[in-house]
Amino acid sequence: MTSNGKDTVAECLNLPSRLPDLARVPEWIERLAAQYSIPASTQFAMNLCLEEVLSNIIRHGYSSKPDQSITIHFSSPRENFFVFTVEDHAPAFNPVVSAVPPVLSAINENPIGGQGIRLLRQFADALEYQPTSTGNRLSIGFSTAHSISAKE
Amino acid sequence: MPISTEELAGGITRVILDGRLDIEGAAAVDLPMNVIAGSKKAVIIDLQNVSFLGSMGLRALVAPGRAIKGRGGKVVIFAPNELVEKVLKTSGVDTLIPIHHDLQAAITALQ
Repeated sequence: MTSNGKDTVAECLNLPSRLPDLARVPEWIERLAAQYSIPASTQFAMNLCLEEVLSNIIRHGYSSKPDQSITIHFSSPRENFFVFTVEDHAPAFNPVVSAVPPVLSAINENPIGGQGIRLLRQFADALEYQPTSTGNRLSIGFSTAHSISAKE
Repeated sequence: MPISTEELAGGITRVILDGRLDIEGAAAVDLPMNVIAGSKKAVIIDLQNVSFLGSMGLRALVAPGRAIKGRGGKVVIFAPNELVEKVLKTSGVDTLIPIHHDLQAAITALQ
């Protein structure tokens, strides 16, 4: 998805590893959406997936240490398709293949944690993970060629 | 994220959330939701003005919902938008906290 060398990186956002700084992401997505005519349902999916991925990196990958960094590249490799590539320097973690706990249920006390990865897989149109020499690279793709509800 | 409550007939409390239930929003409603969960037994969580729900926001709904049910109470979710409802259903929250789009149906479910 991002390794063909043809993508044009249009934007880049660098974040410190602090949860309050994630408030900058929706503002960024809103600006990108205006620039690239991204519909509201896709913006919702982008916000959902990035919140999950970034908060996981900060809370688990970096163990809430505030002096680390995360870089997010935004690109549009083809018409109606947008990719956020998230790079960190945390221990290896592949959310594409990691186990996901069962959905919440009325008949048990399944933990709430882990549902975020289920949401990531459901709301993203493409996911690609690559370990790097210093951490992780996760590319999250979104298509605007169809409504988000079409994945149901 | 603004949160307000309205007392309805029959001892039902309507909790109205407004805005984004993201990390920041979840942190803002966590304490008041827990207070409600510890004191009310019939609760409608009104999501009609919630524009976004993330995984941290789910926690802010599920933990109080489980607490209310654990005390023998009932809780329902009212009027989430299409995308918020998809988040709820993808994670199975709708099996813990039923979703209603008709207010009278929500009230009836609590009686």
